[in-house]
Amino acid sequence: MDNKDIADVLIVGGGTSAGVAAKHLAEAGFKVVCLEQGDWISQSDIPGDKVEFELLNSKQWSADPNIRGRRQDYPTDLSESEMPVWMFNGVGGSSILWGAIWPRPMPSDFRVRTLDGVADDWPISYEELQPFYEAMDLEMGVSGLGGNPAYPPGIAPPLPPLPIHKTGRRMAEGMNSLGWHWWPGTNAIPSKDYRNQKQCVRYGLCRFGCPHGSKASTDITHFPIAQQHGAQIITGARVAQVTINEKGLANGAIYIKDGKEHFQAASIVILAASGIGTPRILLMSTSNQFPDGLANSSGLVGKNLMLHPPATVVGLYEEELEDWIGPAGEFIGSMQFYESDPSRGFVRGAKWMLMPTTGPLTTVDRWTKGPGVSHEPFWGKDFAPKMKSSIGHMIQWAIVPEDLPEESNRVTLSPTLKDSDGLPAPKIHYRVSENTRRLLDFQIERAFDSHKAAGAHKWWVGGAKGTQSGSGHNTGTARMGNDPASSVVDRWGRTHDVPNLYIIDGSVFVTSTGVNVTPTICALAKRTATYIANNAKNEKVGK
Amino acid sequence: MNNIEITARALNAAQQKQLNVFADVLIPGGAGLPSASEVDPDGNWMERTLKVRPDLKDVLLACLAKDGEPDIILDQLKNNDPEEFDKFAFAISGAYLMNTRVRILLGYPGAATLPSPILPGESESYLDDGILDAVINRGNIYRSIPS
Repeated sequence: MDNKDIADVLIVGGGTSAGVAAKHLAEAGFKVVCLEQGDWISQSDIPGDKVEFELLNSKQWSADPNIRGRRQDYPTDLSESEMPVWMFNGVGGSSILWGAIWPRPMPSDFRVRTLDGVADDWPISYEELQPFYEAMDLEMGVSGLGGNPAYPPGIAPPLPPLPIHKTGRRMAEGMNSLGWHWWPGTNAIPSKDYRNQKQCVRYGLCRFGCPHGSKASTDITHFPIAQQHGAQIITGARVAQVTINEKGLANGAIYIKDGKEHFQAASIVILAASGIGTPRILLMSTSNQFPDGLANSSGLVGKNLMLHPPATVVGLYEEELEDWIGPAGEFIGSMQFYESDPSRGFVRGAKWMLMPTTGPLTTVDRWTKGPGVSHEPFWGKDFAPKMKSSIGHMIQWAIVPEDLPEESNRVTLSPTLKDSDGLPAPKIHYRVSENTRRLLDFQIERAFDSHKAAGAHKWWVGGAKGTQSGSGHNTGTARMGNDPASSVVDRWGRTHDVPNLYIIDGSVFVTSTGVNVTPTICALAKRTATYIANNAKNEKVGK
Repeated sequence: MNNIEITARALNAAQQKQLNVFADVLIPGGAGLPSASEVDPDGNWMERTLKVRPDLKDVLLACLAKDGEPDIILDQLKNNDPEEFDKFAFAISGAYLMNTRVRILLGYPGAATLPSPILPGESESYLDDGILDAVINRGNIYRSIPS
């Protein structure tokens, strides 16, 4: 054990939400220490501008930690999961590999029980979170067009929208012919040089990491500023346990670095280790006071895991569309089928995102693995005509379906699988619910309709459908609520059981919403950091 | 000595020659595209593939070690061990689709992805004919929340 130098705030994790909180609290004068199990990412290592980018994305830069298999990743036990989980460990976390699509949920997302009679209402409202969404628009260099009728009025994004490109224009015309909603994409990708971010040059490979330093990732947008204000980021530091003093207050964390155990003392501890990593650490942090895991008096730590099983729907068009041009990112988005309509046989809905098609090797997968076409001949004499007719001629929707909470979907500790430091891996228990299956099938059929309306001559589910890939949207495993018996954290992200322990990642989501989760994760992190900064004098601290 | 690094190739000449026959079963060319062996007779692109995915070498060698005609071997592999077939096909198509000539013929830009800086007025050009009017005129689509 070492480092008795007490941090005002210890943040476990160095990813997206950690960056937001570290910057805010360091700027507010707090002594901040972050423990990140990965390393800083060198922009020159990012694969997007290399000819081998698709090969690298299939292994070393995969979003699946089990495929990457790096020392700094922890494996996931998927023996009882229908679906892999995606994440990235390193400074910047999953914002290194995210698509930077930046939608907000709708106001109804926070009142699901009231409106649809399922799941639970959030203890906070859209209106309460709106100022923090707007603050994060500024911090993440968001480009977009104000006035979207899918949302209440508010401040427009700070930067003008990126071009919707030929593909977005073509689909927009199809959507208009159907009378369906669409709107130019909102992306955390700057359309102009902005603070630490360069103007996007549309490589179209945002999910492989941005080789140009454009896309918002907290290693660019937040941590450098936090460091300028004194924040310390310790890399290669894997947290094994959050520790508790005799008063039941968090007083630091034990972490492993280079095979040795260390201790970082702290007055306040924030967990920012993702919807998978945070419950893992809480469940590993057992003690006499918390024999079932830290902050787990409700028994809900790890439960209600929601993963957004995604789908991509591709259409083939005769005309040349330069479908690889970015951002990726979305060109346009649609909330047409977002709100519940019980006549459809399910509740809740999904957001659609029109995205570029990345590289040619991905198109091989579309043909050979896509449901509906994988039985067709592809190799041999069919390879050339199929590739010629599809490269540059595709439009692709990605669909994020809302996944409702179920206690049986959960994270536990694997009894058999360990990470490189010998700590138990998280075990994922996940089955796609009937509601989510119906929801996804409906959305796919409507996306087919949109391709038909836009003039496609063929359309199919182009690769991922539901459980075949991860989403990176890992939420719900330490849910927020007013009642300590049915939630893990309160409306500020403070754990009910340990008053100086906070959670700021996707774990705290009450429902998964039907949109990409990072804007809400960032807004919640900003809100909790603001609360801590404003109330620190009154905090019980764990020195 | 000069700083010349001599490293062994992943596949020797005989293995590469044999692999070319298998590769052409999967990618024989046509529709204006060359065959796999035509664009990579010496296996230089396969070498680049195996440099970043060395785990695929054993998959290739296992296939080459089988007795029989390549088309029959691959057909059997696809039917009996689709996961292994997918890895084999991934390596072959991965090398082929990196090739600059192939990418140009496919209409995909260059040897690697290229930057496409945003032109002045480009964003507006897609929207300035009022294409969004229909969406705006339909009004708000979010549900009101009871207080």
